[in-house]
Amino acid sequence: MEVVLHLPVVPNVELVAAKAVETVGGALGMHQTGVEAASVAIVEACLNAMEHGGGQMVVRMSTETLEGKSSLVIEVEDQGNGFDPEESPRHSATRVHGCTSKRGWGLTLIRELMDEVQIRSNPGQTLVRMRKYVENAP
Amino acid sequence: MNDEQMRLSKDIMADGFGLIAAAGYINNEGGQAIADAATELIDGGCGTLLIDLDGTRIINSIGVSILLEIMEKLLEDKGTLAFCNLTPTISKTFEIMGLVQYATVFPDRDTARSELMGDADF
Repeated sequence: MEVVLHLPVVPNVELVAAKAVETVGGALGMHQTGVEAASVAIVEACLNAMEHGGGQMVVRMSTETLEGKSSLVIEVEDQGNGFDPEESPRHSATRVHGCTSKRGWGLTLIRELMDEVQIRSNPGQTLVRMRKYVENAP
Repeated sequence: MNDEQMRLSKDIMADGFGLIAAAGYINNEGGQAIADAATELIDGGCGTLLIDLDGTRIINSIGVSILLEIMEKLLEDKGTLAFCNLTPTISKTFEIMGLVQYATVFPDRDTARSELMGDADF
């Protein structure tokens, strides 16, 4: 199963991607909690792509079986300036209260909510690849 | 996507105890709608605020960051912020972002109401 979405930068377009996750995850038999976690992760990936990607983004969803375990693989790709994933913020909940800026949580949430995350970024292309195993949730 | 349109109501449950029921997508607009309702209740004298998210399935970090600002406003006034009816993913997101360190989470509205009203001795 594969789904490919070419999404323009328009308000709330990230919900189109979330709806696709709901449909594909449901078809895979993923628990609702896993679907919702993947939905929040894809929303964050799309918001990052819209904010930093400089134009249309491509979202791909596919199913993969690794060592007998079925999973949903999601990729969000943009054509922005890129960034160094190692330098990206890794927020800690203990530092929230009193902080002037409360933004920049997207990658932290993606890493916490998904089972595997890989980020490849160069000038002109950033690809966030995430995996959620069907049987791991809740 | 219409299911994700924010539906919001607010009420004063008892003296000093405000309730906001919010269902839909908590993004910048949804978060701001909740913040506006919270500000009205806080300015109206509510030191205890319960936000019921029954019907909310999807959130984003921008919306949650606005909820963090409500929390700070209440903490400045030595108030209490609580949530109920959170999905496991929203609960985990609040935990990751530090919201649950300063707010109490209850499974449902009845439990929240009895605990909070008991605590506050309404």
